[in-house]
Amino acid sequence: MSEKATYFNEREHQICLVARMVEDARTYWVAGGGSPMAAILLAKKLYAPNAVYVTEDGVVNPEPMLPLDPIMTMVSARSSYRALQWGTMNSIGFQAQIGLMDYGILNTLQVDPYGNINSTALGDYEGEHRRFGGPGGADSIAASCWKTLLMTDQQKRKFVPRVDFISSPGFLDGSPKAREQAGLPRGTGPWRVVTPWALFDYEDRQLRLIGVSPFVTVDQVLSEMSFKPRTAAQVETLETPTEDELALLRSELDQRGQITDVGKPVVRQDDGTYAFVEQQKENGDLPSSW
Amino acid sequence: MTTLEIISEGRGDFLKVDPDGYREWVRDHKDRAMVPKLMSEKEAIEKLVADGDYLVYECNYLQRGPSALIREVIRQQKKDLWIGAKFTWVAAALLVGAGCASKLDVGFFLFGPVVEQAIREGRVKAYEYSNVVMTNRIMAGAMGLPFIPLRSFGGTDGFEHSGAKLIADPYTGEPITIVPALNPDVALIHVHQSDVYGNARIFGTGISHVESAMASKKVIISTEEIIDTEEIKRDPGRTTIPYYVVDAVVHLPFGAYPGEMQGRYASDMGHVIEVIGATMRGFIPQYLDKWVYGAASHTEMMDKLVGYQRIREITSRATIKEGYGA
Repeated sequence: MSEKATYFNEREHQICLVARMVEDARTYWVAGGGSPMAAILLAKKLYAPNAVYVTEDGVVNPEPMLPLDPIMTMVSARSSYRALQWGTMNSIGFQAQIGLMDYGILNTLQVDPYGNINSTALGDYEGEHRRFGGPGGADSIAASCWKTLLMTDQQKRKFVPRVDFISSPGFLDGSPKAREQAGLPRGTGPWRVVTPWALFDYEDRQLRLIGVSPFVTVDQVLSEMSFKPRTAAQVETLETPTEDELALLRSELDQRGQITDVGKPVVRQDDGTYAFVEQQKENGDLPSSW
Repeated sequence: MTTLEIISEGRGDFLKVDPDGYREWVRDHKDRAMVPKLMSEKEAIEKLVADGDYLVYECNYLQRGPSALIREVIRQQKKDLWIGAKFTWVAAALLVGAGCASKLDVGFFLFGPVVEQAIREGRVKAYEYSNVVMTNRIMAGAMGLPFIPLRSFGGTDGFEHSGAKLIADPYTGEPITIVPALNPDVALIHVHQSDVYGNARIFGTGISHVESAMASKKVIISTEEIIDTEEIKRDPGRTTIPYYVVDAVVHLPFGAYPGEMQGRYASDMGHVIEVIGATMRGFIPQYLDKWVYGAASHTEMMDKLVGYQRIREITSRATIKEGYGA
């Protein structure tokens, strides 16, 4: 692994965390575009060349010609370039339904302790609410891939005790057979949640904090959640991006910064600790290399 | 006869399921003879889209969809349409903004103030599905079945606002979700090539074009290129949609504009940003005034509003040709 990067932003860090979790020669149903697609492409370039990904427009393992035009992350010549198969939404849905898809990678608006996902409405669906686009392909990804990895931001309004609307299923009410009782395939469900600040797994179908980024504390993570998650006895410190990862991300995968232009910048200080750049400016002590 | 156990069911309204009625429609209306079906988009939409119809379109306004046909539906001010709003960015919102739609079966689409207001004021009703649940429903319609079981959707709140049911599977005894088959009144599908009878070829990925063509009572194809039937016969493996499910063929080069048509032209990025911005900021009426009502036809729009320079630009950016029938 190459040198640790000295300057990166939260979104880049999150994408790199997910990329390092990708297993070689496994199948991934990836939400079209955005961070999930950047993560799988980065993984394939650096760590897991034989990982396979599909998108809901029926594309099997393309080598996309980057950068993609705005919005054109699916059903486009560039996004589906050099694929192994061009199918349809039903063909991918059925491939997942027979158990071919090992992992799903998704984004979400809201998640709860049981890994249920909301992408439909914030507020009271029957009354005052703010409407969003609906589950899209996420419902099928969350239902039928063996393991689901969720990417979201570490914010109080995103981690809620109960999502306002279950668009895509997690462990539902958290009871042992809840998914099977709802007709979902046996042995499937949420697996990890990755935010720029933290890593979670599930213990007894409940979200558990297992890692934090070196530029935040466990308390900071917990303060950006509307419920108190389980916490592992040993919370690991998450690795920050390497220069190689960032170089690929910036020069090939997201040249235009469409994915990674959000998120606070973080800097590695001379003593090896990390801090948000705003804090640096406030303190007036930029690292000597600046 | 024992009754099948229904464990739970959604409260959402859904298009009446009637597989025998659909068979009879197909028997009585789908012409078995090879008759030319070429017509203008004006004529096709006038003849085949009625107020109150359930409408599906393949792909969407920005991604190899029947954008010109959607604009013509709006131009003709069709009313009270029920839209299969799956895998769609702005198309459903444009139809709502134009006052054409009153019901939406949602898979995914881009919301904005215009749609939100329509829903809040009760002018539009949304039912909740997901993209794949919708394409499964269309698949069931294409198979001539009344419903289809699927291993997703159970346990969601969408289920509660849909036509889905959870039943005890009579074979395994396990709970299984079923959703009602969908046989839309109209399907709009944009293709790369077709002969005048409707033997059509789509190259590249897609959502549910074959299923939509098979499942829908009235099928309007718009095509980039009209090819000879002899060419179809030289390579029948490339026929995506057979003529006898097709009711109209409209020759519309750049019919997916402003979206991309893989292998032919790229999306018009400026226009894509304009229409997304219009949807998200509530300027759909202004968008429609300019791009839909501002021209009498697709050809006029391409000539007067888009113009040669932009056509050359989007065409030259379509550098990938492999797999697109070139």
